[in-house]
Formats: sequence, structure tokens, C-alpha cells
Amino acid sequence: MALKFLIVDDSQTMRRIVVNSLKNLGYEDFVEASDGKDALLKLSADETINFVITDWNMPVLSGLELIKAIRSDAKMGNTPVLMVTTRGVKDDIIEALKAKVNNYVVKPFTPAILREKIDQILAAAGGGN
Amino acid sequence: MMSEENMTQLFEKLNDLKKVFSYGEKLIPVIHSLGEFMKETVPLLENINQSIAESTAKIPKATNQIQSVTSATEMATTEILDLVDVLNNDLINIEKTMLDVLVKEKDKEDFLKSLIPMLNKENAELFIDDFLSKNSSAEKLGELLLQVGKMKNDSNNIAVSLQVQDITAQQLATVNHLIESVQEKLSALIEDFDNTKILDNHEINLPDNASFDPNARYSKSSVPQQEVDSIFNQKSQKASQAEIDKLFS
Repeated sequence: MALKFLIVDDSQTMRRIVVNSLKNLGYEDFVEASDGKDALLKLSADETINFVITDWNMPVLSGLELIKAIRSDAKMGNTPVLMVTTRGVKDDIIEALKAKVNNYVVKPFTPAILREKIDQILAAAGGGN
Repeated sequence: MMSEENMTQLFEKLNDLKKVFSYGEKLIPVIHSLGEFMKETVPLLENINQSIAESTAKIPKATNQIQSVTSATEMATTEILDLVDVLNNDLINIEKTMLDVLVKEKDKEDFLKSLIPMLNKENAELFIDDFLSKNSSAEKLGELLLQVGKMKNDSNNIAVSLQVQDITAQQLATVNHLIESVQEKLSALIEDFDNTKILDNHEINLPDNASFDPNARYSKSSVPQQEVDSIFNQKSQKASQAEIDKLFS
């Protein structure tokens, strides 16, 4: 199945870096959003988006709130979500786990880590988790 | 007529009064010194107030300058990313062209080798092999392709390193937030002191709804990611949420 990514980050620089990294990993289909609210609008409007990569700290609606909104939605509740954030303290990670994030990457990341986490999420989804 | 008892009481009261006056006499120089001290202190306090007011008025300039640094670095980072994209695209084109040339070199080699049986001459194979070893560019092209691959990798690493811009922007936003808090406190102090408002003419122009991680750090250490992975591994081993909470509480 071809992946269509939604990259959510208030930093334009970070969105470009994530997109460039994904392009180098061989992915081609991307949509961008600058905050959680924008992401929800784009997810509702485009049902072909099947993977979300989101930052945590964003104005209007944070990444954590975005995950909660996705999980509570009947249609997009199972969409895989990878959190990419500077927040690396245990309490934050546990909070993200409670919100049912699929995996978690601490910035600054390397493309290798990004590939590893995407593969892990896809493998877990393929395993029926 | 006053009784003797009443007279005694009167004298006692007069004695008490005398003691008060004598205490007052001792107190007067102290009160005088206090007055002198106050006279000297008030201008000092006014100076302090003036300094605080001037410093507070400068804070918005500092925060706005920090904000402009963030904007400038974001612009510069975008320009660098644009250049890296151009560089990457050029390298991809060069790589593609070199691969085409390499294929043609192989074709040429195969063609020349296919001539050997047709030439039907002694040492034809040796002659063609010698010609190819002296004139083939395949080996050099292979080396150049490795170099191009390394350059592509380096340019991608430059782009990845530019994550520093996002992280420093969050650090600067944290500093701005702290400065803003200090300014609010100082302004309140000035307002209490002489009923003047500092904020009226010196607005801080920070973006609305700024969101940042106060602990953001740029570190290439793999330890933070390992900690995350350790928590997620425990989750994948079917540890219950309560167990995870207990472990890290």
C-alpha cells in the first residue's frame, strides 16, 4: 500500500526537513499542516492520508491534542501517528503513550531513525496490532 | 481635699510622665537621624525607580530583537534548504548521466569483445583487452559515482542538521517568555510606586499563541531516543498502562 503522509509542524523548516528525509527514503506523497487544527481539517478532507507525522508543541491545537482527536474519531481512529518532538522527558513520553501514539522520535532525528520508526509502525499494523 | 493616698498616686503618675519625657528626650535624636536617613533614601529610591523604569522600557526592544533573530535564522535556513535542494537535484542529474555513460561504456566493452571471434587474428583478444584496460572509463566512472553518492549523503546531512533552527527558535521563545514575565512584574512594581504605566508605549510584539518546549536542546546524543525506545519496547511487551505508570512514577 502506498503511503500518503500528513506532516504536521508549525515550523516550515521542520516540515521541509521531514519531507526531504521521507523523499530520500523513497516516499513521494505528502500533505502539510501548520498545527493540529489544520491537520484535522486536512485529514477530514482527504481520506487517502494514511500516516501522520506530528510535532508536539504547536499553536492552536497541539500534537498531543491532535492524537486524542484522531483516536476519538470513528473514521480516522486507526491512522498511524508518529510523534517527532523535542520533548524527551519520561512524563511526556508516557502522556503520548496514553494518548495512543504509535511511536515517538526525539528531535534532532536522523533519517535512519525516521525509517526505523515508520517500519516498526507498519510492521505492527501488518501484524494486526 | 486630697487624701494622702491620692497625693501618692498623683506623684506616681507624675513620675511616670517624667520617665516618658526623659525617654522622649532620648528618642528625639533617633527620630531626627531617621528623618535624615529618609531624606537621603528618598532620592535613592527615586533613582532606583527611574532605573527600573528605564530598564523595563528597554525590555520590549530586547524581546523584539530576539524575535527578529528567530525570523532571520528561519529565513536563512530556508535559503540554505533551497540551495541544498538545488544541489541535491544537480547531484541526482549528474548521477543519472554518469550511470547512462557507464551503461554505454559497458555496451562498448561488450561490443569490442564480440569482435574478437570475427577478427580471427592472433592475439586479437589480448589486443582488445589491452585497449579496454587503457581506454575504458568504467572504473573511473564507478569511483566518481561513489563520490557523488557521498556528496548526496553530505548534502542530506546538512539539511538534517538544520533542525537546529527549530530547536534554537524554541529556546529563544523560552527566553522571550521569561523576559516578558520579568517585564510584567517590573511594570507592576513601577505602577505601584508612582502610578505610571510602562507597557502603554512599549509593546512587546511576540507571535500570538506561541508554543515552545522550554527544555528544547540540540544534542546529537542517542540517549534520549534510547530512553523513548525503552519505554515503547516495554509497551510492546504487553506491559499494562498501570505498570508503565508505576515504573516511571
